[in-house]
Amino acid sequence: MTRHSIFTLAGPSPGGAATHSRGASAVAWLLLAALAIMPLGFSSAFYVHLAILICLNIFIVSGLALVTRTGQLSLCHAAFIGIGAYVSVLSEMRLGLPFLAAAALGTAAAALTAYLLGSAILRLRGVYFVLITFAFGELFRLFMLDAATVTGGANGIAKIPAASLLGYALDTRKLFYCLAAPLALASIGFLAAFFRTAKGHALDAVGENPGLAESSGISVRKSQLFAFTVGSGMAGLGGVLLSRYVGYISPESFSAQVSIAAIIMLVVGGRTSIAGPLIGALIMTPLPELFRGAVQSQNIFYGVTLILILRFLPKGIASLGLMRRLTGERP
Amino acid sequence: MMKKTLILASLFAAAGAANAQETLKIGAVLALSGPGAAWGQGMQYAAQFAADDVNAKGGLEVDGKKYKVEIIAYDDKYQANEAVTAVNRLIFEDKVRYVIGPTGSAPALAIQPVTEKNKVIIMTLAFTAKAMGPDKPYTFRPVLTTVETAGPQVAWLSKALGIKKVGGLFVSDESGQQQHEWLSKAYKDAGIPLAASEFFDRDRVDMMPLITRLMAKGVEAIELNGISPTTAGLIAKQARELGFKGRFIRSGGPATAEIVNVAGAKTVEGMIVYTQFDPDDPKVKTYATRYSDKYNKPMNGFSPSFYDGTHMLFEAMAKAGTVTDTDKVRAALESIKDYPGVLGNTSWAGQETYGINHQVDTPFYLSEVVAGKEVIRARCTMAGCE
Amino acid sequence: MDISFLLGQALTNGLIVGLLYLLMAIGFTLVFGVMRIANFAHGEFYMLGAFIAFICVTQWGLPYMLSVLVAFVLTLALGWVLELAILKPFRGDELNGLIATLGLGMVIQNVALMAFGPDPQSMPPAAEGVVMLGKIVMPLSRLYVVAFSAVVLVALYVFLMHSKAGRALRAVVQDMEIASSYGIRSSAAYPLGFALGVALAAIAGALMAPVFSVSPFIGGAPLFKAFIVVVLGGLGSIGGAVLASLLLGISESLGSTFFDGSTADMLIFALVILVLVVRPTGLLGRAEH
Repeated sequence: MTRHSIFTLAGPSPGGAATHSRGASAVAWLLLAALAIMPLGFSSAFYVHLAILICLNIFIVSGLALVTRTGQLSLCHAAFIGIGAYVSVLSEMRLGLPFLAAAALGTAAAALTAYLLGSAILRLRGVYFVLITFAFGELFRLFMLDAATVTGGANGIAKIPAASLLGYALDTRKLFYCLAAPLALASIGFLAAFFRTAKGHALDAVGENPGLAESSGISVRKSQLFAFTVGSGMAGLGGVLLSRYVGYISPESFSAQVSIAAIIMLVVGGRTSIAGPLIGALIMTPLPELFRGAVQSQNIFYGVTLILILRFLPKGIASLGLMRRLTGERP
Repeated sequence: MMKKTLILASLFAAAGAANAQETLKIGAVLALSGPGAAWGQGMQYAAQFAADDVNAKGGLEVDGKKYKVEIIAYDDKYQANEAVTAVNRLIFEDKVRYVIGPTGSAPALAIQPVTEKNKVIIMTLAFTAKAMGPDKPYTFRPVLTTVETAGPQVAWLSKALGIKKVGGLFVSDESGQQQHEWLSKAYKDAGIPLAASEFFDRDRVDMMPLITRLMAKGVEAIELNGISPTTAGLIAKQARELGFKGRFIRSGGPATAEIVNVAGAKTVEGMIVYTQFDPDDPKVKTYATRYSDKYNKPMNGFSPSFYDGTHMLFEAMAKAGTVTDTDKVRAALESIKDYPGVLGNTSWAGQETYGINHQVDTPFYLSEVVAGKEVIRARCTMAGCE
Repeated sequence: MDISFLLGQALTNGLIVGLLYLLMAIGFTLVFGVMRIANFAHGEFYMLGAFIAFICVTQWGLPYMLSVLVAFVLTLALGWVLELAILKPFRGDELNGLIATLGLGMVIQNVALMAFGPDPQSMPPAAEGVVMLGKIVMPLSRLYVVAFSAVVLVALYVFLMHSKAGRALRAVVQDMEIASSYGIRSSAAYPLGFALGVALAAIAGALMAPVFSVSPFIGGAPLFKAFIVVVLGGLGSIGGAVLASLLLGISESLGSTFFDGSTADMLIFALVILVLVVRPTGLLGRAEH
């Protein structure tokens, strides 16, 4: 019984080739650079705020993209954001670690947890894996709620100090943006570079057709574990930054809804393209702000968009001709 | 994205230009969906009524100018992170200097770093004692909380009704934990320490195991403190299903109408509640009728407090002669004494408990629910009941 | 504290709740068995069933049992249409089907929010009073639900075992290829399976509406319980669902009664993850192809 992977969709895939990147055109990179510099010129604090959120989302969703390229879907991505946030915040505020060390600790904690969880459950395919990640996500949220003496429980942790690099606190929006934007760019660059390497090809092969990959000598399990660990670690780092920017965290900030939002961003943007997280984040992040006051319409819009994209543009907006020319990716 | 930003920017500019008349924007961050929605809506309607009152007179008159008052409300879903985003939008995009809300304690604690830093005056419903303090000079609370009412109420319970064994159910969040702290103390001080305390997740609907535990300890009354109206109703319903025959006590926010709606009048016969107002008072009746006429639902018990609070805010602005200098408005607000509100004579107090006088001080009443309606049994102040 | 009372009551509560969970979960496992789709919108159909019953009883004054039937029929029709209109391209495509149901669930919940508002509504109970077994109390309102769950499950069993459509469905659950080689119309199996699955969720919602309250948000918990039941019992296995839901109900009840609510929840989770690591296809599930 042919089990479709998340790539073989409505239509035959030409020779089963994964997305090969010829290298995004120079125009694309220039456009990106211009886009990145622009918010520094904004006068409205609110728009800089949006720009920062978009950057953090790009970073986080890039992590998710790494996981999905190997054919698994994580419904607990938010939990890893949360682990990065809580571990780094607690180690800085309670243990007095400096920001960089705390950030490293938070990221490492997320990656390590993903490694342990993945080792146990990655042999499960498809739906089983998704359901367990969902269960894990909920477990994390409940645990944060219950360990109130350490995590502050439902009240969360407030007055989180701003990120500080080399003793210089990034406590204005524009300053923080100077940290968030390069990281977002780096995540796109990382994905671009990585998926051109042999290891990257191997991961794509695993996502395309695990059976074939296994029989050609690629360890599906190891590839997926690698992707899950690194991708979730990226989520952790995203959480570290998010916590410093918002200045407040609580278990509600890392619920299944957030994981679903990340999936929507990735699917709408494009799961197999390096521009996917960028496009998804660009489109979906400002939307709640535009819709604020009409929350139901916003969510209906999300749901409908998701279904339409899955149906008619399964590889996301990034698969549109124009986009492909920009990123130099062939389907 | 550039194009999109340009379009967005021009849309906002156009909207701004269309509003040539001076508008005073009052922000609101409220729980308009989810568990606290009944309260959040009550707060929103209250602020809206106060705005309608001054707008009917041609606007709020401050320093010779008349301002049309506009309430901008965002739903924080009783969640802290949503509240932070909403308040960021209100302060930096909508440029408000005053916020009604939040409804919940956790959202309030989350937004205070932003509002205090930006000198934005807030009128909150948050029940937690941590929301008030000399380090939070821009926060005011126009409702009485368990801290103010618990002592007198519990003492009266023990003396007038002879109740000895009470079990309490508390939501495991900031409000619940705080109420547990204060109520335990009040019950202990009154000589009838709580026989049992159970915490539960805010979204829980199946209360049977918890009620089973309370009943196993043989409690004669169940303390519902400030649990949201529908959850409280569910607890009452399920307790009766399990055969609980004792009384319910509600030492927390007003919710009688909603609880009766969910649980049925028979279920909560004899429930002891406190109310901020005397339902027979003509001023209250007028407000209640106005409320139910416009919104087709019974008035939420917290609404009058915010109606008075918003009006006091307007009065403070008029007194201070400015709508933008929040330091002056704050000082003016604090100085308001004996304001003749819907709730009665209103002043600010709380120096002893919180270190700052931003807690409203009004008389309150203890009532018993008879056939679905509250019947007043005692009149109280923060000092005691008779 | 009277241990025997606590234990007895906890076990009874647990059995009753377990049967409620079974009713919630059975539709989910059916849909997965037929279409290999983990229907993340399952909880929203439960919620729809509750609202339909609520409207029938409180606004149209229909008798309660009729309202439950109406909820079943309407949701059956809706499910059939939705499958054909939206889910058809995802037949057999597990992950994308799952994501599509995520979107579907969001749409349904928010449409309900717009139509009914967020406030929980209350329905009059189906039955009042209690039945006493010694010191153990069993609320009639819950026994009502248990009785009807039993009726529904028996009806489902009869349908699956003895009717032509039912046998076709079962064949499809066993193996799609073999079923189609026998000429069983798989094109009808899909909408039927989905429609039946979500209609069962709607019955659960309609039956439980008087016990808990009715709001657009009530779908989350049943979805969650359904997951745990089917994952523990084995996706696609109905016998496994029966076993797992009783197990879940009793463990949860014992846990909440003797410890506290949240500890019980976490233990359940940890238990689920453990079972899956040891027996990945669940207690009675089949091995993956």
